[in-house]
Amino acid sequence: MVSLTRKKTLSIIALSAMIGLLLMPIVMSIPAVASGGGESAGSPPPDAVKKEGAAPEQKVEKARDVYYKTEGIVVGAPAPKTTDGPKDYPRYNFESRVLLWFANQQHLYYGSFVLAVPIFCMVIEFIGVVTKDKAMAKKYDQLAYDFIKISLTAYSLTAILGGILIFTFLTLYPAFFGYLSSIFRPVMHIYALTFVAESGTLYIYYYGWDKMKEGLLKWIHLSMSVILNVIGTLLMMLANSWIGFMMSPAGVDEQGRFLGNIWHVLHTALWNPLNVHRILGNMAFGGGVVAAYAAYRFLSAKNDEERAHYDWMGYIAMSLGVAFLIPLPFAGYWLMREVYAYRQQMGITLMGGLLAWLFIIQATMIGILFLSTNYYLWQALGRMSGAERFQRYIKYFVFILVCGFLIFITPHTMVMTPAELKAMGGQQHPVLGNYGVMSAKNGGINVIITTTVLTFIWYQRGNKIPAVSWAKFGNIFMGCFFFMAYVNIIWLAVYGYYIPANVRVGLSVPQVATTLSCLFFMTALNLTMLKGAKEIGPIMWGKISVRSQYAIIMLATAFTWMMGLMGYIRSSVRLFWHVNEIMRDNSPWAYTHTVGFAANMISFNVLFFWVSIMFVFWLGTLGAKKAPVGAKAPVPGGAPAPAVGH
Amino acid sequence: MGKTILYVVVSLAISLAYFTLVDHFLMDMQGLDYWYLFRK
Repeated sequence: MVSLTRKKTLSIIALSAMIGLLLMPIVMSIPAVASGGGESAGSPPPDAVKKEGAAPEQKVEKARDVYYKTEGIVVGAPAPKTTDGPKDYPRYNFESRVLLWFANQQHLYYGSFVLAVPIFCMVIEFIGVVTKDKAMAKKYDQLAYDFIKISLTAYSLTAILGGILIFTFLTLYPAFFGYLSSIFRPVMHIYALTFVAESGTLYIYYYGWDKMKEGLLKWIHLSMSVILNVIGTLLMMLANSWIGFMMSPAGVDEQGRFLGNIWHVLHTALWNPLNVHRILGNMAFGGGVVAAYAAYRFLSAKNDEERAHYDWMGYIAMSLGVAFLIPLPFAGYWLMREVYAYRQQMGITLMGGLLAWLFIIQATMIGILFLSTNYYLWQALGRMSGAERFQRYIKYFVFILVCGFLIFITPHTMVMTPAELKAMGGQQHPVLGNYGVMSAKNGGINVIITTTVLTFIWYQRGNKIPAVSWAKFGNIFMGCFFFMAYVNIIWLAVYGYYIPANVRVGLSVPQVATTLSCLFFMTALNLTMLKGAKEIGPIMWGKISVRSQYAIIMLATAFTWMMGLMGYIRSSVRLFWHVNEIMRDNSPWAYTHTVGFAANMISFNVLFFWVSIMFVFWLGTLGAKKAPVGAKAPVPGGAPAPAVGH
Repeated sequence: MGKTILYVVVSLAISLAYFTLVDHFLMDMQGLDYWYLFRK
């Protein structure tokens, strides 16, 4: 007993020392950042400073921050004025932007995936630790381990792709990359160190799983996942600050000279909305990819036990992904609002101008995401005894979803030939054109999301009948609440047509609040009503249609497609600027691609990602025989199985 | 049956009041007038 305690104590000390060493570089760098980056970002190299220092007097020049409008001492060089040639834009016999696009997108896909999966692991491992049922706790633990195992190979690929990305920048855009790294010099260094800390923590977390599976050590292991995710989020936020700076620069004067305040450079107008949007997006994407992995394993499973396990895994991953998908459009809305607030013209280019058609494609993808989610849940009702009673209502749900979807994807203006324009009598269709405005579109998407919430609530009730004494009132209240929510969403959409634009723009907020009210209040009410509910039959994990698994794969592919599309839109909005209004892109590729070319390029990226991730999945199956959590965990459910997992 | 009608009426009243408050206050928080059309 004594020796066990000593062992534990030594383990804790060793672990703390290791984490301390991993975090030490970051802690040591903090004072440098606080003081504006030690050596000023954008400043000349130290030897040059020495030579200049020899001069008797140094002139102090002050300038005004382009965004914060504060005055600061100029400490950086101006943004280089590039010219098209081998000096600023060396190239192969290929479009450099496309090469960079590919490297960037692949790095981003894998980066998003490996940042999202540890968050899932943390949540699932925590559920496993607090679950009182030992068998279930073991299953959750095994599931969390399965998740992190997938991300580990992907992690190596992320690092490799990051290296490729940097080399692509250095080789093809040296002037731009030189300028960007001079501005971000202090945080670039921290970024690299954070990556080291992330890697170290991840490896300890993964390889320590078996050794730290019980008691206090398990809690330490769990807390390591928290550290892992804090570092991961920091990493992502630093990367976001670069794109935030490129879109909405701050901390520099109008010539692009750094003014000594690194916080201003990081905290640009779009940094926070980008952070929130990316965290949610990564989570939804990560959930989709893990669910696709489970679907792949389900489809290739050799026996019922495997099918049951991967059905359950797919359900959990999909649920987590969708949980983050639901608030994602609202985060996107916030980002767009901030874009409009920063530069109205930028917002118009995005949503009403050059890139507007890509937003129609985006709306289509969002619609597909929600339709696939609903379809999966309807299929999943099939594995529950007693859920048949809901089947006959599905057709009404389909009708509502399709109406919302069609309104959501209706374009405001069409790109047409003169003959088509004449035939239609204008740029807008006389009837359908009315649906192509934000008022209608907001109504459409909120109806879709509210219906998805309703589907999920029905899924939760699939094999259960509420047994609380107030069940009748609860059911009626829930029905009325949803009914009034639909009425309110549609009312606000219609009301928007009758009031001026400056008042109308605010209606989206109560619309969103209506949808979120359904999500939070009705899910809470449902869970309360289902406490001690009467079970009609068990959930038969693995007894689900093959179509449902293809819906999951569709969902994951749509996520990937949408990420590629939105990334392109966000990047393209800078038009011919490397750094918006500060550093002009003078390469031959400083133009906006056609929608067709962009769509092909995005699709190629999606295809490449999925082919490569299939390789990662395959690698994961090679080590599948080695179970880390003691004896092989029993299948969650099996066929038939205890009803768990809501 | 009578109880069901009562439940429906109460539920609808609560929901209607709730959403009206949401609409009013969330517009008000943005400095906008939810009742713009009716005041005109």
